[in-house]
Amino acid sequence: MAVETPRQERDADGDAILRTDGLVKQFGQFTATDRVDLEVERGEFRSIIGPNGAGKTTLFNLISGALPVTDGSIYFAGEEITDLSPPERVRRGIGRSFQISNVFGGLSVRENVRLASQAVHDDEYTFLESLFKPTDRYETMNADAERILEQIGLADVADEQAEALAYGDRRRLEIGVVLATDPDLVLFDEPTAGMSVEETQATIDLIEEVLVDQTLLLIEHDIELVMNLSDRITVLNRGDILAEGTPEEIAENQDVQDAYLGGMIE
Amino acid sequence: MLGGLIQQLLDGLTIGVVYVLLAAGLSVIFGVMHVINFAHGELFALGAYFALALIGPLGGGTGFFVALLVAPLLVGVIGVLIERFTVRPLYGRNPLYHILLTFGLVLVINDLIYVGWEPGSVSMPIPEFLRATVDVLGASYALYNLFIIAFGGAMAFGVWALLEYTKFGLIVRAGSQDRQMVRNLGIDIDRYYSLVFGMGAALAAVAGIVLGGYQTVSPEMGTSIIIPAFVIVVLGGLGSFKGAVVAGLLVGIIQTVLRTHVPILEGLVIFLLMIGILLIRPQGLFGSEAHDDDGGELLTGTGGVLDSQTRTRLAIAMVGLLALVPLGVGTLYSPYVVSLVIEILIWGLFALSLDFVMGYTGLVSLGHALFYGTGAYAVAIVLLNVSQSAFVAIALAVLVSAGIAWFVGFLSIRVSGVYFAMITLGFAELFYNVVSRLEITNGSDGLFGASAYYGVAGVGVDLDSIAIFLGSVALTGQMLFYYVALAALLGAFLLTRRMLQSPFGSVLKSIRENEQRATFLGYETTVYKRRAFVVSGALAGLAGGLFTLNTGYATPSFAHWLHSGEVIVMVILGGMGTLYGPILGSFVFFGLEDVLTDFTARWRLVLGTVFVLFVIFLPQGLVSLPSQLVPYLSGGSSPETEPTPEDPGFGGDG
Repeated sequence: MAVETPRQERDADGDAILRTDGLVKQFGQFTATDRVDLEVERGEFRSIIGPNGAGKTTLFNLISGALPVTDGSIYFAGEEITDLSPPERVRRGIGRSFQISNVFGGLSVRENVRLASQAVHDDEYTFLESLFKPTDRYETMNADAERILEQIGLADVADEQAEALAYGDRRRLEIGVVLATDPDLVLFDEPTAGMSVEETQATIDLIEEVLVDQTLLLIEHDIELVMNLSDRITVLNRGDILAEGTPEEIAENQDVQDAYLGGMIE
Repeated sequence: MLGGLIQQLLDGLTIGVVYVLLAAGLSVIFGVMHVINFAHGELFALGAYFALALIGPLGGGTGFFVALLVAPLLVGVIGVLIERFTVRPLYGRNPLYHILLTFGLVLVINDLIYVGWEPGSVSMPIPEFLRATVDVLGASYALYNLFIIAFGGAMAFGVWALLEYTKFGLIVRAGSQDRQMVRNLGIDIDRYYSLVFGMGAALAAVAGIVLGGYQTVSPEMGTSIIIPAFVIVVLGGLGSFKGAVVAGLLVGIIQTVLRTHVPILEGLVIFLLMIGILLIRPQGLFGSEAHDDDGGELLTGTGGVLDSQTRTRLAIAMVGLLALVPLGVGTLYSPYVVSLVIEILIWGLFALSLDFVMGYTGLVSLGHALFYGTGAYAVAIVLLNVSQSAFVAIALAVLVSAGIAWFVGFLSIRVSGVYFAMITLGFAELFYNVVSRLEITNGSDGLFGASAYYGVAGVGVDLDSIAIFLGSVALTGQMLFYYVALAALLGAFLLTRRMLQSPFGSVLKSIRENEQRATFLGYETTVYKRRAFVVSGALAGLAGGLFTLNTGYATPSFAHWLHSGEVIVMVILGGMGTLYGPILGSFVFFGLEDVLTDFTARWRLVLGTVFVLFVIFLPQGLVSLPSQLVPYLSGGSSPETEPTPEDPGFGGDG
């Protein structure tokens, strides 16, 4: 079940957008992340793979600020963000898409997207306006939202409640919402989990299509997909980085094959 | 000196043991089922009354001991029934629905006590030999108190042993640690819920009986002890048996010692303790890490059936109709109708203010009467001492309420769910106790006789001195105030509706839907919640202020927790998260009260029952009825018809 996606050449420019320095996360006695030094270049498509319990999602939670670090530091675009709250990180350009489709089900599709672009365009309104001026009267913000709705192909259903969308469309909306936060780096945690081959293909196409300027960090179980898409791959095992390199290098790496791939690819 | 201290310690221990019995049950029920049981106090009172009924024919000697055995068993059975038929349908929903449910049960059980027994306090006959006094370290001491300490201590020890050494106890303890884990082990923990609830109820009954013999038995004994009991549970740590014991004894002794030495602090100290603990160590003294609310969103009302144009027309028609109400006085009905509708409008405003935080951000404020009371007292104090201008008084009331809301919100919004509910309750009870004691608020009598003119700096009119003639009707006094209240409600409705259409409102709605996701869009959600809380507090203050402006009085009961509960009832009855639902809820609440009081003094029984049914079967409130009914009404008939609760469509959301 190969997913045929020609890997687009993203122009990594050698400048690290994200760097972690000796990152440690402990839950009681258990060390989920053990001194991880990760460096992701601007414009890169980086995938993180590893067996269950390798610490992939924990790493995402540390980068996005959902969990406080036990030790170590995180730098984004050259500045330390280790102690910033999640919203502050989002505002600096770290977008996050969630493992479980996580859109606001009770709000309309348009409201979902607009909420995200509203956070970006907060310089467009004063405090009083934000309290009393109806949302549909902010031009830039709404234009932004409409453009994104077009991009993700949901303009026709913009007034429908998000929870009424089909699974695949809800995924598209989720990507649109992340896009509307105007990120420089997007964290994707298994964006194609539970999807059919066709849906997976469509989602990947969409990500490739709308997130061209962004650096992408992807957690994914589907090895073929990862091999096809990524510029570089980081393999995590037991909370630590086991190997890192291009798909070709990872495929040939003996450690990876022993520890992980051997068990995954029959 | 030493004798006096020992006397106080023993007195404190006596009360402390009673607290322990109450708090242990509450805490275990919370630990295992995550149910905050407000009805616990009523079960406590029920125990005392059952005992009275049993002692009656048997006499105070053996009768007392028979009652001490049988009454708790009966109450335990009632507890089992309550769990089975009312609490159980709500598992899986947001735990806050249990608070609402058990509040409804308070209304029901409390009125049932009034139905079964005379109002007023009676003393519980205790065996003759326990009336004796004994010497304890030089102080003479009532044997009955020592009996309470010994018997209550033995009961608590028994429960501890049960929890510690039996299979039942093991499962219960494991369940309070991690319910899901117990299920994963293949144990059907749900089966134990009724037993745990029944056991808690029986313990409460024992506490009610022994305290009844020490003090007196009255229908209010449950409502007055439940809040201290909660404070103890929170202090000790929700779900911790050890915490309930330590905190119960501690609070009993502190209260008794303070009563003698620093009487002003007696009612305050436990709330200060609770607020302090919740802010510094939310899990309490012995609690494990703060419980997460296990999911389940608050169910907000859905309109849905009518398009927005029809709705607007309907709303305008309603406002028009309301504007006509004073014109019918004298010809269609008595002036009483106007004062009733004024009260409805004011409470509608109060309910709307609560809906703005509860229905749109999911913050359940259990102490919203704090802001209503603040507004009322601010108006009374200003009118009596500073200025008789209604405008000045109302403006100050709104400002002070907003300020207090900001302060309370600043301290408490970072704790979530059940803890937030408890902390707001704590602040409201603190306010209640403070105004009951201060001189400027005239203590427990409250302030009376405040009058106002409408204007500023001495220039203005008194509503009683002017009259507007419309045909044969002269609008004056209260009939004019009616329009003030109507304008305030309408203004508040339009203001909050406008806010909900703004960027601010969008964020509030996203917080209600999924707070974590809102955070990852870049919103500091606590800031938005705090702002919403300030708006809500200000509007609640406006409601309280208007009430005092109209009636001229303010009493501590304005801030009582039952007041906070009633406004929640209105919001749920009407439909949360709709703004107009709570106003409808206020109409239904007072309408029911007004109609029912013609037939029975026990209207709370009916209202409480209706409310309990709503929480179980129609949590989205009256406004959701039309859309719930559409599937059942096949063509032709209007979706507007309001069915009775017996309607087959009623159970749709169970």
